Amino acid sequence: MRILGFDTAAPTNAIGLVDDDRLLADYSWEARDNSLQRIVLNIDQVLKRGGVRLEDIDGLAVGIGPGSWTGAKVGVTVAKTLAYVTGKPLCGVTSFEALAYQSRNASIQLCPLVHAGKETVYAALYRPRGKSLVRKGDFYVGDIEGLAAAVKEPTLFLGKPAHLYRQTLVRELGPLASFGSPSDSPSGCVFAWIALPRFQKGNTDDALSLAPLYLKESLAQALLLKRQQEAKS
Amino acid sequence: MLILGIETSCDETAAALVDDGTILSNVISSQIDLHASFGGVVPEVASRKHVEAIGYVIKEAFDSAHKTPSGIDGIAVSARYGLIGSLIVGVSAAKSLAYALRVPLVGTHHIEGHIFAPILSHPEIPLPHVCLTVSGGHTMLVYVKGLCQYEVMGNTLDDAAGEAFDKIAKFLNIGFPGGPAIDRLSLRGKRTAFDLPRPMVNSRSLDFSFSGLKTCVVNMFRGKQQDAIPLPDVAASFQEAIVDVLVSKAVQAAERKGVTAISITGGVSSNRRLREAFRETCGRLGLEVFFPLPDLCTDNAAMVAAAGAARLDRGEVSGLDLNAVPTAPLESSR
Repeated sequence: MRILGFDTAAPTNAIGLVDDDRLLADYSWEARDNSLQRIVLNIDQVLKRGGVRLEDIDGLAVGIGPGSWTGAKVGVTVAKTLAYVTGKPLCGVTSFEALAYQSRNASIQLCPLVHAGKETVYAALYRPRGKSLVRKGDFYVGDIEGLAAAVKEPTLFLGKPAHLYRQTLVRELGPLASFGSPSDSPSGCVFAWIALPRFQKGNTDDALSLAPLYLKESLAQALLLKRQQEAKS
Repeated sequence: MLILGIETSCDETAAALVDDGTILSNVISSQIDLHASFGGVVPEVASRKHVEAIGYVIKEAFDSAHKTPSGIDGIAVSARYGLIGSLIVGVSAAKSLAYALRVPLVGTHHIEGHIFAPILSHPEIPLPHVCLTVSGGHTMLVYVKGLCQYEVMGNTLDDAAGEAFDKIAKFLNIGFPGGPAIDRLSLRGKRTAFDLPRPMVNSRSLDFSFSGLKTCVVNMFRGKQQDAIPLPDVAASFQEAIVDVLVSKAVQAAERKGVTAISITGGVSSNRRLREAFRETCGRLGLEVFFPLPDLCTDNAAMVAAAGAARLDRGEVSGLDLNAVPTAPLESSR
């Protein structure tokens, strides 16, 4: 199966083209606010280098976040529009799954982290099971201390914030905390490979309704919800 | 030439198919109810809603016109002027379609779309003419020398006229969007009940300023209970002040350029009193006046398709690196 995967929610934007477990082409770049400008041109480049036409791929995989809200909107909109117009199936892949992918053979719990602004992180906990990862509980949004308090077993922390908050995690968790490679930014192929088994099972997302995973309300929405709750109580 | 237009510059997600000036479909998914609880458009809320709606809206534009994507000759998208988080959604969709379908893409200016709404509605409209485009986001007087040939004659220095309507409606607590709410209330009110200023009406400049007028109304009734305010009279007087200024500046612009026709477009152009006042004044002065069809007043994608068709006709094509730009001057065709 030929899958085109891409992600513009992370600071490093990535596109990859795979044919089952074979990498055909990939490309990454530091986005710096140019995701919208570059994404379609770079998809075209990757497809050309892989020698595959858009109409000949079997599925699209896209990073849905969490991460840059703007980046995720661009990626998801491009993906859903391409899926609609080509009729190809589409799978959304979270930033957490992508960050955890390279450590999917670990024997301990995985905790991928994404910057959430204002000294907070988005996080999730995964347990490797066979070849796949199973998420434990809900996604986390908050400060690093709060996250550390929820961790009770040996855990491999992944993603750039894991290195930024390394000292805090070591202080709070001692030997329970271990760390992945500091340079781990998932390539586009990772998104395609995570989606591959889902395509094989026909477990795809509805293109028209697919939305980014924001994990936070906009400020105005949060204030409105708070006001409504206060009015109720 | 069958053109798909896409418009997401503020709070309407819109797609339309226009074939040589004939509107085949004009789909608009409005977020007004969503933003009403905030009393105005919240950019992040708007842009999230665009991502959710855009696929359905584009599909509906094709389905309701009984066309398929492979039948189109080009794609036009509002790429400049508006909320950046909203613009990016339309541009992302447009460039993806253009790439997959291998058809030309053209990014247009949101205001140019509005200028084309009366042209699309009334192909007989003379060129040159003066266009007053007025909404919640802008108030602009443009000399339309020819298709895609513009000279901006006036602009708002502070609030857009529609924004002033929204803010006064919020102050009076009569609902969002403010324009239609004030328009409705004013039917029962006296236009001369309150003597409100007509900002800059005697100035040589064709620029507008509405924030002082708004402050004047707010100061008059600050601290009063809503039931102590004669709402219909306030609405009618406030609306009359804005309408007076818009009509007077548009007529001045037409006289200065020696044109015989004025077009009025944008969300505020559906205001009942504004239309009446323009018809009265222009009738007296022997000027023709043109308004868009009802569905083309507020943001829509048919006007974008029309503007894009004119640009594509002139051989203007955007690259797939097209960017979304929140503030940009209205540019004439090369």
